[in-house]
Amino acid sequence: MSGAPPDGGEAPPAVQLRGITKRFPGVVANHDIDITVAPGTVHAIVGENGAGKSTLMKTLYGMHRPDEGTIAVNGEPVRLNSPSDAIAHGIGMVHQHFMLADNLTVLENVVLGAEKQAGIGRAARARITALSEQYGLGVEPDRLMEELGVGQRQRVEILKVLYRGARIVILDEPTAVLVPQEVDELFDNLRELKREGLTVIFISHKLDEVLSVADTITVIRRGTTVATVDPATTTARELATLMVGGELPVPELRESTVTDRPMLTVRGLSVREPGGRRVVDDVTLTIRQGEIVGIAGVEGNGQSELIEAVMGMRPVESGTVELDGADITGRPTLAIREAGVGYVPEDRHRHGVLLESPLWENRILGHQGRPPNARGPWIDRKGARADTERIVAEYDVRTPGIDVIADALSGGNQQKLIVGREMSGRPKVLVAAHPTRGVDVGAQAAIWGHLRRARREGLAVLLVSADLDELIGMSDTLHVILRGRLVAQADPMTVTPEQLGSAMTGAGLEGAPGAAEGEDGA
Amino acid sequence: MTSRLPSLPAWVVVAGAAVLAAAVTLLADMGLLAPAAAALGVALAFAVTALLSRPATEDAGTRVHRFVVVPAALVLSVLAGVVVGGVLDWWFVEPAAYAMGAVVGAVAGFLLHRRLGTQLALAFGAVAAAGVLALAATSLVLAISGVAPLHAFGQMLEFGLQPNSLVIVVNSATTLYLSGVAVAIGFKMKLFNIGVDGQYRLAALLAAAVGGAWVLPPVVHQVVVILVAVAVGGFWAGIAGYLKVARGVSEVISTIMLNAVATGITAYLLNTDRLAVQISTNNIGTHPIPESGWVPGIPAGFMGSDRDIYGLVLLAVAVGVGYWLMLNRTRFGFDLRATGQSPTAALASGVNIRRMVLLSMVLSGMVAGLVGIPQLLGQSHYYALDFPAGLGFTGIAIALLGRNHPAGIAFAALFWAFLDQSAQILDFEGIPKEIAVVTQATIVLTVVVVYEVVHRWGLRYQQQQVGRELAREGAEAR
Repeated sequence: MSGAPPDGGEAPPAVQLRGITKRFPGVVANHDIDITVAPGTVHAIVGENGAGKSTLMKTLYGMHRPDEGTIAVNGEPVRLNSPSDAIAHGIGMVHQHFMLADNLTVLENVVLGAEKQAGIGRAARARITALSEQYGLGVEPDRLMEELGVGQRQRVEILKVLYRGARIVILDEPTAVLVPQEVDELFDNLRELKREGLTVIFISHKLDEVLSVADTITVIRRGTTVATVDPATTTARELATLMVGGELPVPELRESTVTDRPMLTVRGLSVREPGGRRVVDDVTLTIRQGEIVGIAGVEGNGQSELIEAVMGMRPVESGTVELDGADITGRPTLAIREAGVGYVPEDRHRHGVLLESPLWENRILGHQGRPPNARGPWIDRKGARADTERIVAEYDVRTPGIDVIADALSGGNQQKLIVGREMSGRPKVLVAAHPTRGVDVGAQAAIWGHLRRARREGLAVLLVSADLDELIGMSDTLHVILRGRLVAQADPMTVTPEQLGSAMTGAGLEGAPGAAEGEDGA
Repeated sequence: MTSRLPSLPAWVVVAGAAVLAAAVTLLADMGLLAPAAAALGVALAFAVTALLSRPATEDAGTRVHRFVVVPAALVLSVLAGVVVGGVLDWWFVEPAAYAMGAVVGAVAGFLLHRRLGTQLALAFGAVAAAGVLALAATSLVLAISGVAPLHAFGQMLEFGLQPNSLVIVVNSATTLYLSGVAVAIGFKMKLFNIGVDGQYRLAALLAAAVGGAWVLPPVVHQVVVILVAVAVGGFWAGIAGYLKVARGVSEVISTIMLNAVATGITAYLLNTDRLAVQISTNNIGTHPIPESGWVPGIPAGFMGSDRDIYGLVLLAVAVGVGYWLMLNRTRFGFDLRATGQSPTAALASGVNIRRMVLLSMVLSGMVAGLVGIPQLLGQSHYYALDFPAGLGFTGIAIALLGRNHPAGIAFAALFWAFLDQSAQILDFEGIPKEIAVVTQATIVLTVVVVYEVVHRWGLRYQQQQVGRELAREGAEAR
């Protein structure tokens, strides 16, 4: 095809993808993708987890070659063999996980790897300051990276891309790590970029956000583009239907199953970092049988440390943790687990599975002292294997067998295995950190279903999540954690994500009923 | 390719292949060397097996299976047939021995064809590739120094396969195996026990001193010596483990330092004023262990050698079996592997990492303590200035080569010892025998690299395999 613009005298599309197909042996990750991104617009690409968005963006960023199809940038057909090719064509990418060195300054982070452009000294600083002002990023070149918050870090990542001369910026799930207020700031930045003539490709699965910022939305389902729509004439519901080919699952609890028997009682719990900072500060909460207690907070405000302290993975400075009346403060992790606490860790790959071990060995992990996995000092292979088969069947883990390594499964299936494992042996309490993070819609609904069922059967759940809809929908009681303290308690029946978001940033639960941490004062 | 043939019962195929292998071997033996005849027999039997039976593995019929697994199975079964034939040749007449070897090879071929998994086949492929690369590098060095490589290799092979050489190979492989397992226990935890060398030297010295100090009833005597060695080795490695757990000292640094300390202590103790006596005019050693403490050798007359195989080769076998059991069948082994694979996941699952570090270091040291024992109780009976040193470092190479697997380490130790021994002939030929060191070094390097490549490829392959299978299931469900 020619590089001529499709319609008359207008500028050629910034990016035009035609018939992109990318196969991985046995799997077609993308097929027949057609996207036309007009210059100077924010173009959103939405799809559920696993729909093929990331594969597509890797293609566009030159991280792998498509098997079929063509890419044209500004009307010129291009071949992108590596990210440096992409950068040379003015395409930059901001990854979901920031690639920044904490111990360097903003300036150093930005020039790292691009020293040839303007050196590392005064010229570079001048250019960073100019870019920052031009696009309203508000980046200070001499701040140390570790001093910056998540939103600021993201702006540094954007600046890095601009510094390298990008005119087309790809943002991969940029809002996943932000609270609603930060999301708004990001969107202001994106509008600024657009005003300056840059093109933004914005990947997300959060429909409200996409509707508020994008000029055009392309929906991807099962590896292919199913529709390109105008946000002005579409609704979140229509988009959701396009995305999943059906209704989106909604996190919700029906009738209350809360009893008055406390299963997990945390009193005045404080945890100090090895460096000396208090990361969990005097936290008191009670979870009763059949109750799900949600903890909302911006990442890094002590929720991870709280969980690790409850699980015995972190020394407790003061305070107590009681499980069904028995003091488990400071007990070893295995003892706490065997006393009846299941644990779905927040970072599946780091804490939840042994990626290179078969599924049945992963079934043993965390339960190595108990039947059906062990008899005395010996591993009970037969028992563990049989029980793994049970979990695979009951929790619908999609796998050809229990001898495949965990790494071969998709994130959702790994997570279903973990949830199944942690629910086995009838735990009294489940500590679940981000149980549906990075899993596909089907697995998400399944995991919510399992949580609901276990709650009905009397399980007490401590739920930490960054997904505010999940928190509000799945919790019986909701606490907000800020700088290690529980600062507010919200009623999940009435609170909105926006109110929760503002409480998470310390602005308080304005206007929300049942605000303020009306703790049952221990 | 196999589908059009009716599938015969397994035993018919096996029996047919075995008979064919034996018959071909006997016939070909008239015109060929016996090993070649056996190889031919096994290969033909394998071809028949491959045509008449279907593999039971999941990826049967895929390209990878056809081009990697089947050739690997073929090569392995031929090797098995020839080696078994060569061993049986010590007792039987040549044609009969190799015919029996061919039968074993044919049966092995059937089993391998049915059962060999892709991952394992890849590992063998990796070893073969590394071997070829190492051989090529060695050939290059030889050619540059003006020696015909094939001539040198031929000489080495001939000398290395002589009965006396084989006994020496088995004996030094015993020692190397223990050293390799000691290192591998650490490796499984991602701990780098460089201190095996100091651990076994100190352990051997003190065990020799204790063994030489008293006359004890047989069995008790040996057991005491072995226990002392195990205790000293475990203690010495435990220091490094404790330092890591309590003070965060890298075990690499501390074990290197402890090697130096152990050298100092042995030098101090091995003095005629202290533990040593004059052994000969220019050698001093510990008081020789009385005969009640010796471990008799296994006479190797059956191989045509007048030397003895260390009786403690059985100890090495026991250690290997114990290592395998510990690793694969016990909770401790599970925790060990989990910690090695992912310390974070192990921590979250309730493994006490510090305890595991200390225990595995002690365990590694305990096995290290055994390294000098076969030599001590089976041959020299005292610890002297000429006691072999440096085995701990060789153990690192052996563990790397053997991929920390009990059987892999055994092959690596045998191979290493074979190269050491067969290179002795080169001096007589006017070829520097250090050429074997070149081979050893290149093979370790290439194996490490090739394994890593194959490992990654294998992981990806398995992911694709799963994806394909799920896609198929999904299509069927629809």
